[in-house]
Amino acid sequence: MTTNQTAFTDIDQLSYNQAIAELEDILRNMQSDNCDIDKLTLYTRRASQLLNECKRRLTVTDRELRDILADMEK
Amino acid sequence: MTEPQALTLVQLNRIIGKALSRPDLSEVWVMAEMSDARLSRGHCYMELIDKDLDTGEVKARIKGVIWASAFARISADFALATGRNLASGMKVMVRGTVNYHSAYGISFIISDIDPSYTVGEVERRRREILMRLQKEGVADLNRTLEWPRVPWRIAVISAPNAAGYGDFIHQLYHNASHLRFHTRLFTAAMQGADTAPSVIAALDAIATDIDSWDCVVIIRGGGATSDLVSFDDYMLAANIAQFPIPVIVGIGHERDVTVLDYVANMRVKTPTAAAQWLISQGEAALQHLRSIGTLLLQSVTDLTAHAMRQLAYMESALSTAPAAAIERADARCRRAAITLAGAVSRTTSVQSARLDATAEALKIASTRAVERARMLLGSRAEMLEALSPQAVLARGFTITRRADGTAVRRSSELSHGTEIITTFADGTSSSVIQYTNN
Repeated sequence: MTTNQTAFTDIDQLSYNQAIAELEDILRNMQSDNCDIDKLTLYTRRASQLLNECKRRLTVTDRELRDILADMEK
Repeated sequence: MTEPQALTLVQLNRIIGKALSRPDLSEVWVMAEMSDARLSRGHCYMELIDKDLDTGEVKARIKGVIWASAFARISADFALATGRNLASGMKVMVRGTVNYHSAYGISFIISDIDPSYTVGEVERRRREILMRLQKEGVADLNRTLEWPRVPWRIAVISAPNAAGYGDFIHQLYHNASHLRFHTRLFTAAMQGADTAPSVIAALDAIATDIDSWDCVVIIRGGGATSDLVSFDDYMLAANIAQFPIPVIVGIGHERDVTVLDYVANMRVKTPTAAAQWLISQGEAALQHLRSIGTLLLQSVTDLTAHAMRQLAYMESALSTAPAAAIERADARCRRAAITLAGAVSRTTSVQSARLDATAEALKIASTRAVERARMLLGSRAEMLEALSPQAVLARGFTITRRADGTAVRRSSELSHGTEIITTFADGTSSSVIQYTNN
């Protein structure tokens, strides 16, 4: 990894709260005047990954839901 | 031997019955605790007891009955006033008449209940528990706990196979937003004497693995009976007040309150309401995610749009900038030329004036010099004139030379017989030296 690239923590290692905090950081950065255009893609991709991961943790898929409900009926 | 005068039992009981049929045993108000209450064919049977405050030992006991004809009205009035149904464990003030039945013995036929006494009693007991918890400094501990951002791991304390638990689970797992929840049931008795110890046991079980849970939900099985008295328990309240994660209680209905409602982090009216609140927390988190997403998109769009505008501006500026620069440079050159010309003309006029003056001065100076030279020459000529040998000769001096023409400067150069030639102004004459006196 080169020096001008930002090192991101592996998303799996983040707690939900940490992920949200990072998202809010990225947002603040983008809303400020000193956002680096060179890193825009990098940050946008990271933010999208974080968003998806948070959403994934919050919600279940239909299949998971069916499994859970089936489990409970046992 | 005379037959002893014996009564039949019927006769005895009749006498007892007559003795008990007194105005001061009719329609009297009595304070007691209800115990072993049960319904049978619409009639409500119970034991009215009086316990020793310290030992809990039963000091007095009488059977109590509310006939079906009165029970519907009495129980409805009671429920309306107290927010709960008549149940065992309640302190009640009842009006009734002592009745003696030959076959069933003494009982107290209740015709009315004063609900305000029960409300007061329950309230007094609850206040006692709360004051004790406050004195111990633990009353607000659970109430002031902070919730995790998304509470989704939920330990449920309830009676198994209860309608309320089913409602809660159904509501939770069929939420429209597909929120993820993880629940586990910790069973406990939710009515009767076993309530407090079994709920405490369930809390202890949850506490052994506390990091796996975000909150505890205590919900009652539901059903018609509203036996909440067993929840107004000091030990149970103390356990909930000091529980390390937030506790939601949903054990009553609209008007039912127990001491747990004052110490738990949150009180909900129904199990369904507990589920709805948890879902609303998850939905708020989802909404927050969505708004972050929208804001991010907006920011990225804004940033790129701004960068594009900047580029476009620079592009258009670049196409005209060289020509403009040349024009500006040209103008500057012209201005410089004009300035230069002005400066030069000013400088040369000064210089030429100075030259003219110099020429004039030169002319005067040279004339004067010539004049001076001429005068000098004149005086020199005169001086020269005066010094010339001719002039000297004219003034009477002569020049003596030898015959070879060399000038004689001293007398000693001459000797007897030397011929000399004397030059005068007007000619020469030759002589011979006769005598020298040197």
